[in-house]
Amino acid sequence: MINEPTAIQHHPASFKDPSGFIFKANGKFYRQINRSYAENYDLLMSSGLYKVLTEKKLLIPHTEVIDNANQSPDWYKTILPEQLPFISYPYEWSFDELKDAAMVTLRVLKIAVKHGMVLKDGTSFNIQFYEGRPVFIDTLSFEEYDETKPWIAYRQFCECFLFPLLIEHYHKIDAQKLLSVYLEGIPASTTAKLLPFKSRFKLSTWLHVYLQASVSAKNKPTSKPATASFSKTKLLNLIQSLQNAIKPLRVETSLQSTWNNYYDETILSKNYLDEKEKIFRDFISNINDGRTMDVGCNDGYFSKILAEKNRNIIAVDFDSQCVNKLYLDIKSGTTKNILPFCIDLTNPSPALGFNHLERQSFAERAKSDTVTALALIHHIVLSKNVPLADVARMFAELTINHLIIEFVPITDEKSKQLIANKATYHKPYSPEAFEKNFSSYFETERKAIIPGTERILYRLKKR
Amino acid sequence: MKIFLLYIDPGSGSYLVQMIIAGILAGLFYFKNLWMRIKSFFVKSKKEENSEND
Repeated sequence: MINEPTAIQHHPASFKDPSGFIFKANGKFYRQINRSYAENYDLLMSSGLYKVLTEKKLLIPHTEVIDNANQSPDWYKTILPEQLPFISYPYEWSFDELKDAAMVTLRVLKIAVKHGMVLKDGTSFNIQFYEGRPVFIDTLSFEEYDETKPWIAYRQFCECFLFPLLIEHYHKIDAQKLLSVYLEGIPASTTAKLLPFKSRFKLSTWLHVYLQASVSAKNKPTSKPATASFSKTKLLNLIQSLQNAIKPLRVETSLQSTWNNYYDETILSKNYLDEKEKIFRDFISNINDGRTMDVGCNDGYFSKILAEKNRNIIAVDFDSQCVNKLYLDIKSGTTKNILPFCIDLTNPSPALGFNHLERQSFAERAKSDTVTALALIHHIVLSKNVPLADVARMFAELTINHLIIEFVPITDEKSKQLIANKATYHKPYSPEAFEKNFSSYFETERKAIIPGTERILYRLKKR
Repeated sequence: MKIFLLYIDPGSGSYLVQMIIAGILAGLFYFKNLWMRIKSFFVKSKKEENSEND
């Protein structure tokens, strides 16, 4: 029972679909199903589609709650989906995360068609990452399949998945940031202008991008419903064609990004890493908090150590190639409790969409019981020119209980590199200044100098 | 300036494109299947990947 007597507001991101909405009660997210969606919901459950999708871990499982908590006249049922540890958005995913999300959407569609249903929308916001893999979360996206109709969400799917992937594939640039501007996907006409000339010679790109761009430009809007008839074979061919188009898309993993060979090539010795790991393991040994956020996670070396204790780890880094590498690493390995995302702490995702409420800012979602920030502070202070006092406040807002943070002094080789071409930086930047600024929000529980270096590892407790 | 598709529902704009694409694909898949059949007549077929076998 939900036991919330007053009418509950729908979640600010859950207003587009009249079939139902998400609401929060007693700290949990529920989904109300409206009467208008009753037949489709019953078909999802009775056709065996729900069972197949949840068994394959493609759709988030739910339980039905017999309670009209909202006192809503449209109420048909309330479901309680399995709760997700963290909500992320497509513009925070790496290339392969978006690619896998696209493949999952197509797989879900293909299975749905076999069960007499179809996806009525194809947005990337229907996907979340859970237990190391993309999972479809919108239980209300399925509707009865009419074989005479083409796929209503085809264009939306292309704009949200295929087009950003193609731009990234052809230019090897971090195009997913564009998705925070184009929240509803990048239009075909824009994509056609952004892609290089050679992409026209690839049949799938020509069909889905150039042909689509030119047809929709020439095709004047009419109020007449589309009458042309389609078929199941045609739809399955279309899905197959989209799968074939997406499967070979790649970003270079060998390309040198800022960090992705940091541990392999760095002048910092293996010895430093061993010593740091020893202290780090000691510091985290008796912390048993729920969610841990590893900021500046790099290749995830320390995220994996944190993950050994079965915590939910959110690993973030501003370098999308590092994040991609870590994602592929987790995908092929056995550790499933790390979710890597592309976040720049000095320019985190803002609140977006209708009323600035539809997509939450990173700060609203990021609060974690434990936060770890290793070899990061010198980048924020020395490269990005953020004063220590502001850094301390930012970490205080992010942390609920513990902060494990490494201080990299100005005399360190890496710090010297960062200020080599700078006239000045925010002073004082010293262990004393660090401790003074952080003491406004935290008390120091543990402190250890990493042997062989002047770097200091702190375990701080939020006041 | 291109026409703004403000009053068009998300599907109808793509219906015509899908009709054309589906037509082209039907032809392509026909020849592909034909080719696969000819090929499999001469070469013993490898087992299909079953990881995505839904």
